[in-house]
Amino acid sequence: MKIAVMSCIHGNYEALNAVLSDIDKQRAEQIYCLGDLVGYGPHPNAVVEMIRSLDIPTCQGCWDEDIVEGLNACECSYPAVLAEQRGKLAHDWTNQAIYPEVREFLAQLPLSLRDDNLCFVHGSPHNQHEYLLPEVNAFVAMERVLATGADVLFCGHTHVPYVRTLDDSQIQIRVKQMQNPETELQFSTPLKRIVNAGSVGEPRHGRPNATYVIYDRDTEQVTLREVPYDYQKTCAAILEKGLPSIFAWRLARGLEFAERADDPTHVCER
Amino acid sequence: MRYSSNSDLPNITLVSGPCGAGKTSWIRQQALAAPGIYLSLGAESAVDMAYLTAEVPDLTVLPTSVLSASVQSASNLSKLSELLEHPPAEAVYIELSPQLDLNSLPLDLVTACRRIAVLPPGLRQTRWHDWTDLVVTGAEITGAETSLLSSPPLWNRVLTGQVFDLSSLNTLWYELTQGAYGTVRRAKGIFDVADGRALYWTFVAGQPETAYLELNLPRWLQGRPERFSGLEVVGQGLDQAAVAQTLQDCCLSEQAIFYYQQQVKDLLAQGEAA
Repeated sequence: MKIAVMSCIHGNYEALNAVLSDIDKQRAEQIYCLGDLVGYGPHPNAVVEMIRSLDIPTCQGCWDEDIVEGLNACECSYPAVLAEQRGKLAHDWTNQAIYPEVREFLAQLPLSLRDDNLCFVHGSPHNQHEYLLPEVNAFVAMERVLATGADVLFCGHTHVPYVRTLDDSQIQIRVKQMQNPETELQFSTPLKRIVNAGSVGEPRHGRPNATYVIYDRDTEQVTLREVPYDYQKTCAAILEKGLPSIFAWRLARGLEFAERADDPTHVCER
Repeated sequence: MRYSSNSDLPNITLVSGPCGAGKTSWIRQQALAAPGIYLSLGAESAVDMAYLTAEVPDLTVLPTSVLSASVQSASNLSKLSELLEHPPAEAVYIELSPQLDLNSLPLDLVTACRRIAVLPPGLRQTRWHDWTDLVVTGAEITGAETSLLSSPPLWNRVLTGQVFDLSSLNTLWYELTQGAYGTVRRAKGIFDVADGRALYWTFVAGQPETAYLELNLPRWLQGRPERFSGLEVVGQGLDQAAVAQTLQDCCLSEQAIFYYQQQVKDLLAQGEAA
């Protein structure tokens, strides 16, 4: 049985349509979405309506959270002042554009989803704002997967897709507490995987094409899909809706609008 | 860059060529060996002047205000005539902007000076070839034969007093030079950044991207810098309002400037104490 996992649509309806068509062709029987339905893109309401109408299980992304809770994340969200200015602009525009029922839908999204030995989150199991980059150290990566109790952790947020296999490994930890002797624990872990679905609507891999993944539950095979779509339509809509033209320029080149935090594993203390 | 020397060199050197060919770099090279006086004619570049001031401390860079305002229009070069009548002992480097009509220069000036044209390799039969005593092979420029020979418009913005977030500046520079705000053939800028350094950025279309250069200036750690910083852009169809907005969005607030300057001062003090 094949499942499709997608993330980070960011109000890009054209890209979402193209990905849904491709999922049809791949004959996936179930779709999961890892959040960030809104933000930066020109069609937040249409994207949410599509996800709702198809009843796609979705977890809440950091942008979805910000639209519900307001921009009160700590400084981790915007490490550069330019990214912060642009992010705030996009946030204000989206905040004004979305319908009340869309905001309500975003508010009730769960932080994670679970399906047997698969777990689905936006950033990491700890926080929607945390980046699980492919180069994050093995201990941190393993800890994040073990925290879920799953064998495969699907995430997004980085906008660059990847598959990381954490081979059978042995973890050694040393616990030191005041007034207690130091204790050392060792345990083995079976093979785990982190699968990042990339981004449907705001890719950061140098091309405008949307990305998502197909996972075959029987063979455990992961296929990263890259889907061309008419990104010029989205660019035109960005300009038409009065969003900054630089968003369109960056979208057309596969450059994310903002940038990731200096310390990607920083856990937001909002 | 190749330069063929001439044993009978006059003291005053006129340097011309298309933008991005390396006129200022050539003058810097010469002035390091034989410092003297530098001035520019035509659409003067405050960035070049600040760059040379920082990089060649022994060079006297004459600001525009020293010359009469009309000199900059190239229609009245009386100050330069004075320079010819009473030539200083040291070398004088006069950089001519690409926008300047070489035929508008007075004959007595042209004939009394050494004329250098810094040109991209392979460029032939241009107005500079008719004018120059010596061709210096400069940097390669894409499309030099066409667009650079017709003087594209120059846009500049003085940024003195602004302090930039370096990460944001990197994004701005990438977008500017990759065409996000119009076709840019040449861009150069000096920016003060949060840790007190002044950085020189330069871009020429078709040339490999280079890292910014830290100028030979002391760190500015006492509030808003009171030294020159600014950006100059040569290109076509430039969305000036968008560039200006992005520049503004890259600037640090008063509070952030104070915070970062304090951090750097503390670090420097710790280093001295150790």
